[in-house]
Amino acid sequence: MNWTAVLEFARGPFFKVALLVFIAGMAYRIARIIMLGWKKDRVPPRGSKVEGAAISFLKGILIWPFIPWVKDTFKRNPIIYIAGGLFHLGLFVVLILGTAHMLVWKSLLGFGWATLPLPIVDWLAAVAIVAMIVLFIHRLTNPVMRLISGWPEWLNLLFVFLPMVTGYMMTHHLFFRYEVLFSLHMLSVNVMLIWIPISRISHFVFYFFSKAIHGADFGKRSVSP
Amino acid sequence: MAEDSIYSELKKEGMSRRGFLKFCGLVAGAMSFTMLPPIEGLTDVRGVQSPVKHGTIEMVAKALQTKQRLPVIWMEFQDCAGCTEALTRSKSPTLVDLVLNKITVEYHETLTAAAGFQTEEAKLAAMQKYAGQYILVVEGSVTDLDDGIYCTIGGKSSMELLREAAAGAAAIVATGNCAAFGGLPRAKPNPTGALGVYEVIKDKPVVNIPGCPAIPEVFTSVLAQFLVFGTLPELDALHRPKNFYGTAIHDRCLRRPFYDAGKFALSFDDEGAKKGYCLYKLGCKGPTTYNSCATLKWSGGLSFPIQSGHPCLGCSEPNFWDGGGFYQGQSAPISKPTGTVAAAAVAAGVAIAAGVGMANVAQKKAAHSADKEEEE
Repeated sequence: MNWTAVLEFARGPFFKVALLVFIAGMAYRIARIIMLGWKKDRVPPRGSKVEGAAISFLKGILIWPFIPWVKDTFKRNPIIYIAGGLFHLGLFVVLILGTAHMLVWKSLLGFGWATLPLPIVDWLAAVAIVAMIVLFIHRLTNPVMRLISGWPEWLNLLFVFLPMVTGYMMTHHLFFRYEVLFSLHMLSVNVMLIWIPISRISHFVFYFFSKAIHGADFGKRSVSP
Repeated sequence: MAEDSIYSELKKEGMSRRGFLKFCGLVAGAMSFTMLPPIEGLTDVRGVQSPVKHGTIEMVAKALQTKQRLPVIWMEFQDCAGCTEALTRSKSPTLVDLVLNKITVEYHETLTAAAGFQTEEAKLAAMQKYAGQYILVVEGSVTDLDDGIYCTIGGKSSMELLREAAAGAAAIVATGNCAAFGGLPRAKPNPTGALGVYEVIKDKPVVNIPGCPAIPEVFTSVLAQFLVFGTLPELDALHRPKNFYGTAIHDRCLRRPFYDAGKFALSFDDEGAKKGYCLYKLGCKGPTTYNSCATLKWSGGLSFPIQSGHPCLGCSEPNFWDGGGFYQGQSAPISKPTGTVAAAAVAAGVAIAAGVGMANVAQKKAAHSADKEEEE
């Protein structure tokens, strides 16, 4: 098998198509959500909705992650909280502060930025992979999680896991030749890009919607209809 | 000619026994010992059967003493003669001497003294005389588009000439990226329909020695192995000798520690570049390029592009001209949607969403009025 040709396809036309599907799909999803509209205030709000949303974001990003033990969600299931947190941290650092990924952003956006040294990124990638395995085992063993997991949930795990593992193997030159791993990495990334808009991985956008809506609800301090 | 053994010819030219053995060591060295197969009847000092260093030299000496010269026919098609230039300017003169004089180049367009139809006749005569024995070296890509009019020699198209010469060849060596994979002539939009030799010739062993140009020592080694052992090196999926194309340049690069430490040159004249940091961010293709530049280097082990401060272009890989920008990061996609196309995708997504949304509203209204009617 000619892996150079596979790589060219995966980095070339397939990536282009996958990215366009991703962009169009996410535009569709976002437009659909926006078109749902806001709930009407049937009672005049006593507080500021904007302030509520802002506080909600600040708490969620700047405070809770650093003192998670005060939260009930943490107390009830610390493993999922820690593993989930580390997974997201690792993912963001690798995707945004990893040199190779920054160069992808640079080619797409036209500008780049400073990145972290490889060993740091590498350890966080390993942490994210381990966290993902922990989350997988949790989903597999916890009866409630089993009950609420359909095939899309398992596919979510698979489609995120594959790019991460192939990327890690690629940087460490494990088992296969570099262009083979590069091809597998790009193929799995492309599949994930197509999968994101039709799956719950789209929460990377909708997280901000729900956070804003809940924050506004907290902020207006009045009876909700 | 070529009735005498190589050694007797060398002796006639005044080479001493000592000089000959040194020469044998050089040839053996060029073939890289570790890749040699165990040799029948060859034992080391302990009487153990193994392809040890001194045994290999002995083997080479034995072969050169008994074997006749190896005829080579060198054809150039859509090329720049750069591989020939590299070979003739190689820092291993003895090896080049081996190839160009001792191995007997019967036909070579750049080096031949004769011209025109005389040369072509000499080539045909050599092809007949050494049928089934000669090595065909090809430099440059071949083309068959529009009846092959883009590359003709003596009125024959490159494809015709290649098939004609390949028919009687013992093996074919495609030197340089053009002969191996199509190279520069094949860059988009490939106006001449250029092809690599191994895509055309399927019934003969084809060894690819890609590079722009091919590393002279690699070329010489392949020929030396064929001369001494009568075998060709083990090849990878792209027909490249595994002993020279087995590892990526990145894995043997002298700047690799800087890659691992995350220290990169960000432009060609910044502090990082002066300190010799990794060139990955400047578009180095080392991680996906298989060749031995980083170990053999060029000009007698003096330097190679990455050492002298230029990122690897990936010249020993297929389609390297179209494999993304030379100075674009290696991880960057080869093709990406333009701003307009991306905006069109967004517009399409929003338009479909609006359509679906309105359809839903209409459906709801219809259902609502139907309910009302029922109530009435």
